[in-house]
Amino acid sequence: MSDAPLRDSAVQPSPTAPRVQSIDVVLRRLPWGRIGMPAVLVAMAVFFGTINPNFWSVTNLTNVSRQMSILALISIGQTFAILSAGIDLSVGSLLALVSVACAQGMLAFGLAGGIAIGVLAGCLAGLVNGVLIAKARIPAFIATLGMLVAARGLALTLSGGLPIAGLPHEFLFIGAGYLGPFPLPSVIAAVAFVIAYLLLSRTRFGRYVYAMGSNEEAAVLSGVNVVKYKILVYVVSGMFAGIAGVVLTSRVISGQPTLGEVQELYSIAAVVIGGGKITGGVGGIGRTLMGVLVLGMLSNGLNLIQVSSYVQNIVVGAIIIIAVYIDLARERRR
Amino acid sequence: MNRRSILQTMLASTIVAAGFKVMPATSAAGDDYPRPPKPAKQYTIGVLLPQLSNPHFVGQAYGYIDEAEKLGVKVIMFDAGGYQYLDRQISQLEDLIASKVDAIIIVAVNGPGTADAVDRAVTAGIAVINCNVMTGSEKIVTRVRSDDEIIGQMQADFMGQALKGDGKVVMLRGAPGTSWAESRGNAFKKRLVEKFPKVSVVGEQYSQSTPADGLKLMEDFLQTFPQIDGAYNGADTTAIGAAQAVLAAGRAGKVTITATDFQVDTEKFIRDGVMSATVAQQTVIIGRWGVRAATNYLEKRDVPKALWTPLLLVNAANIANLDISTLRAPAGWKPPIG
Repeated sequence: MSDAPLRDSAVQPSPTAPRVQSIDVVLRRLPWGRIGMPAVLVAMAVFFGTINPNFWSVTNLTNVSRQMSILALISIGQTFAILSAGIDLSVGSLLALVSVACAQGMLAFGLAGGIAIGVLAGCLAGLVNGVLIAKARIPAFIATLGMLVAARGLALTLSGGLPIAGLPHEFLFIGAGYLGPFPLPSVIAAVAFVIAYLLLSRTRFGRYVYAMGSNEEAAVLSGVNVVKYKILVYVVSGMFAGIAGVVLTSRVISGQPTLGEVQELYSIAAVVIGGGKITGGVGGIGRTLMGVLVLGMLSNGLNLIQVSSYVQNIVVGAIIIIAVYIDLARERRR
Repeated sequence: MNRRSILQTMLASTIVAAGFKVMPATSAAGDDYPRPPKPAKQYTIGVLLPQLSNPHFVGQAYGYIDEAEKLGVKVIMFDAGGYQYLDRQISQLEDLIASKVDAIIIVAVNGPGTADAVDRAVTAGIAVINCNVMTGSEKIVTRVRSDDEIIGQMQADFMGQALKGDGKVVMLRGAPGTSWAESRGNAFKKRLVEKFPKVSVVGEQYSQSTPADGLKLMEDFLQTFPQIDGAYNGADTTAIGAAQAVLAAGRAGKVTITATDFQVDTEKFIRDGVMSATVAQQTVIIGRWGVRAATNYLEKRDVPKALWTPLLLVNAANIANLDISTLRAPAGWKPPIG
């Protein structure tokens, strides 16, 4: 954790110190660990809003929050995986598998049936990931890489490669509907954030996720059922991918086997931009939220100020690296 | 068959019957949806393209940009980066809605998948013109395209004649979930059954619309089927890969490869006799008409519900003297992607 607050209390102005501190001293003494990311977000928002005032319009803010919801949901799952010193590369492909399963389920069993089958498909794929990792002891990177390829193949096989149309129109409500002034996908993502936060900070499962990520051996020695909780981590990740897949399917009102390509990498990016450590043990749901906000605001804002989509990729790539570099630099100074 | 199809079939067969004579030398080749007068107001139009790495869309991008310049229209152009990036095209469309553009021209990455987002743009008061690849939405102002069924039929006619009514054919259909891959492929098969019943389709596959995917697919087809006399291609992107596979297998000239569109590599392969024929869409005209239709609509003029752009069959017979100004962007032109 940051040591900034301590240093803050130590800077009581002594009688001999000049009354007006120079601006760079003030800047240096701010608790950047806590306000760094929000400050970056505010700066970005001000920048985009100045160039294109439409950025601040209600339409656009609803727009961004809706666009971010899918990335938010899979990044929440990714946070669990990475915190436990694992990784889930399959979440992008799972969006496609869930989409196809959800659409076909919906055509066969109706609205509720389809949604349930979609989320279940995500959980099931997560369970397979978890068993492979925890029981068969296949490294998470490899196991979920296998699932990444296989789930896409399964989605294409089930659908014959074609989109599945003809879903009931009421299903649109999930992806395009509103709860009061808030788009439903954003509400779903917000609720998911709260639940994930409580899971990680208030439950035994959450504490064990951190424990496994910091030092798995120590966790085993202190009697944590690592196999069980590891499996649970990937089921949780699969479940959030399942929810994301259902929302995305509703947004495109069809089952699509090609959805979600490279999304797994963006979810990893969201976790590390927020300050989560790729080797596990450090991070949290709040930090991931910051990462998601940065990525979502960037892609929307850069579109609105008409930066080429190719240049956007360069910017996002640079930000991933810079964010992690700053984290490492801060760590070294401690 | 409805009236326009018969008309277009007649037009197409006239072109075929005339021995693929060159169209009129002025770049007005079939450009019969005239440019409206320059509007007093400067409109902003968003253009959404599916895949700018495909030269077909570079030609179209040139059409949008050049026509917009002539009409004093501002263009904001986005590229989804491939037919698999439906979620990205939807985000781009939403960002155009938020930017409060006057009109949106969409070349859809996917029919059913884009329907709801297009509906929302229309609800937000933005006119949507659909060009080239169709969205499932019915709320659009007009659809500007070449007739995909005719493209399939023209390829079938050429294939049937080239194989003298007998042979085995594989199909590289193109990107799944797109209107063009569906309509062209289905029309090709239907026409073969009707006119050349002894030409049989032994294998067909969808793939992403890139030369690399076409190469892989054709290599596998060549391994799977001992006899392949013809290869249909929904787009020339896959045909370029297929041509390379046939070349590498030492079967160049022995497999009749037909394609759609006319990018530089396609031209080269037809000149070298590796590819046999391609149905060229007038990509620049599709772009021009899209901007003209949008401008007419914004200026409160009537816009027809459908605008059919002309087609041109290119083969060894007519490739030497072809006017390519409506088929491609000028050499070296680059889209100002934003």
